[in-house]
Amino acid sequence: MPSLVLDRVSKRFGGIDAVSNVSIEIPESCITGLIGPNGAGKTTVVNLITGMHNLTSGQILLGDIDIGRAPAHETARSGVSRTFQNIRLLAEASVLDNVVAGFHRLESSSLISGIFGFATSLRESRTFRERGRELLARFKMERFVDHPAGCLSYGHQRRVEMMRALAMEPKILLLDEPVAGMNDVEAYELGDIFCELALSGIGLLLIEHNIRFVTKLCEHVHVLDAGKIISSGSPAHVMHDPAVVAAYLGTA
Amino acid sequence: MMDFLRDYHPLFDFFLLNVGFAFSQQIVLRAGVFSVATVGFAGLGAYCSAIMVKNYGFGEIPALLCSMALGMVVGFLLSLPLARVRGVYQAIATLAFVQIVVALVRHFEGLTGGALGIDRIPRLIDTWQLLAIVGVVVYIIYAIGKSGVGRAFDTVRQDETVGIALGISIRRYHTLAFVLSGAIGGLFGGMQALTVYVIEPGLYGFNSMVTILTFIVVGGRGSVLGPIIGTAVIVALPEISRPLAEYRQMVLGALIVVMINYLPNGLYDSLILLVRQRRAVRLDKQAKEKVNAVACA
Repeated sequence: MPSLVLDRVSKRFGGIDAVSNVSIEIPESCITGLIGPNGAGKTTVVNLITGMHNLTSGQILLGDIDIGRAPAHETARSGVSRTFQNIRLLAEASVLDNVVAGFHRLESSSLISGIFGFATSLRESRTFRERGRELLARFKMERFVDHPAGCLSYGHQRRVEMMRALAMEPKILLLDEPVAGMNDVEAYELGDIFCELALSGIGLLLIEHNIRFVTKLCEHVHVLDAGKIISSGSPAHVMHDPAVVAAYLGTA
Repeated sequence: MMDFLRDYHPLFDFFLLNVGFAFSQQIVLRAGVFSVATVGFAGLGAYCSAIMVKNYGFGEIPALLCSMALGMVVGFLLSLPLARVRGVYQAIATLAFVQIVVALVRHFEGLTGGALGIDRIPRLIDTWQLLAIVGVVVYIIYAIGKSGVGRAFDTVRQDETVGIALGISIRRYHTLAFVLSGAIGGLFGGMQALTVYVIEPGLYGFNSMVTILTFIVVGGRGSVLGPIIGTAVIVALPEISRPLAEYRQMVLGALIVVMINYLPNGLYDSLILLVRQRRAVRLDKQAKEKVNAVACA
């Protein structure tokens, strides 16, 4: 699977440099961490990668292809998947339907085949539902299959969002604070799943506030502050970097 | 029995035609497009079929095909500027489209008969044919609902950002919704012209637009049965309550307000939602009891 490379990426909103000259690599089969204080620009980086915001300058490469200026849905189709910091589920739909929506990228049926090849499109839908159930089993959520997604608890909603992102069979998975609001047991359960995903070849970008969680999972961590990368390297290196300590705790 | 049929078959025709309009309205709402253009498509389709049959002697099949094609083309053209705007702006713009259709019909008197409309249109479509075509449209709506296109419509309606993140091109699906709505609206407009003998611009104005919206508000937009139930209720309402017939628009308005406040998903969809929630609660209970039983043992 290809890796994702951000090359001197910048984004200006009016007069504010939300992200400036950020270069990050998200290699395959690896969990890369991105941490930083509130307002550092972490979510903006995700929005730039997914094409929700347009780049001001720089480029974003998925393998050899520049996806920096592709429309957002094209970027998603090329295999970049994400979860949202503020959970976004289809509240009216059931848990399974939410997950099945994630298979859109893999769908072969069009309008015409939906109408004239009804049997084929039904078969495809059934396959997706089966695979959706498998994902639910993996996240220990089988008993919520038919629950309306809006009625679930916070932690469970996060899982549904993750399952939906995984249904896309992504090459790159961007996780925007995936364990926010979870207790340690729940968080580390998910952490195990992230490690499995990395082993299966996916490149993960983990954005987190929970520094302990990041240091445990990531081989490589980038620290963002005020739109700039102030430190990169192994978790141990980054944690002792004076610049990082200053950004998090302030200087005396 | 036969007397009953003879008395009520115009009402049944009227019901079937309106089921078609309801589907045309439903498909755009399902995709999250707040278009009220259905009645405009219907007007174009009706005049197209009426003029072709009466002035140029075409049969019903080419006339209806042209009505449908006209609806599709106009739907596509409308989608070009309107796929960029959302919500209430789409509603206002499509309302303007409806007014433009009525104004054009009134203006080109030579072709359309102006405010007097076109009369003595031969009745080429009987109730059975109408029923058959409604059947085909029901199947199409059902098949679309079960396919990936239906899932994409549902996703886009509930959250566009999620749709984009899953690789759905919003523009493409909004355009598709407009084209489908235009096709169904145009087709049923054409069938209306070939069933009711007389058409006039008033049939395709503001009142009809509100009525068609009511079908969906009352029935629900998420399923195939919703629009049928909504249409049945609204069509039957003045028949059941003859004394209120004069205040029809007022009753409709009040009904919309009540429905939106108390059953925003419509009759049928609310019922489905209730059943689903009940079942979820029951399953949850069962699962918990099982866990308790294991723990106690």
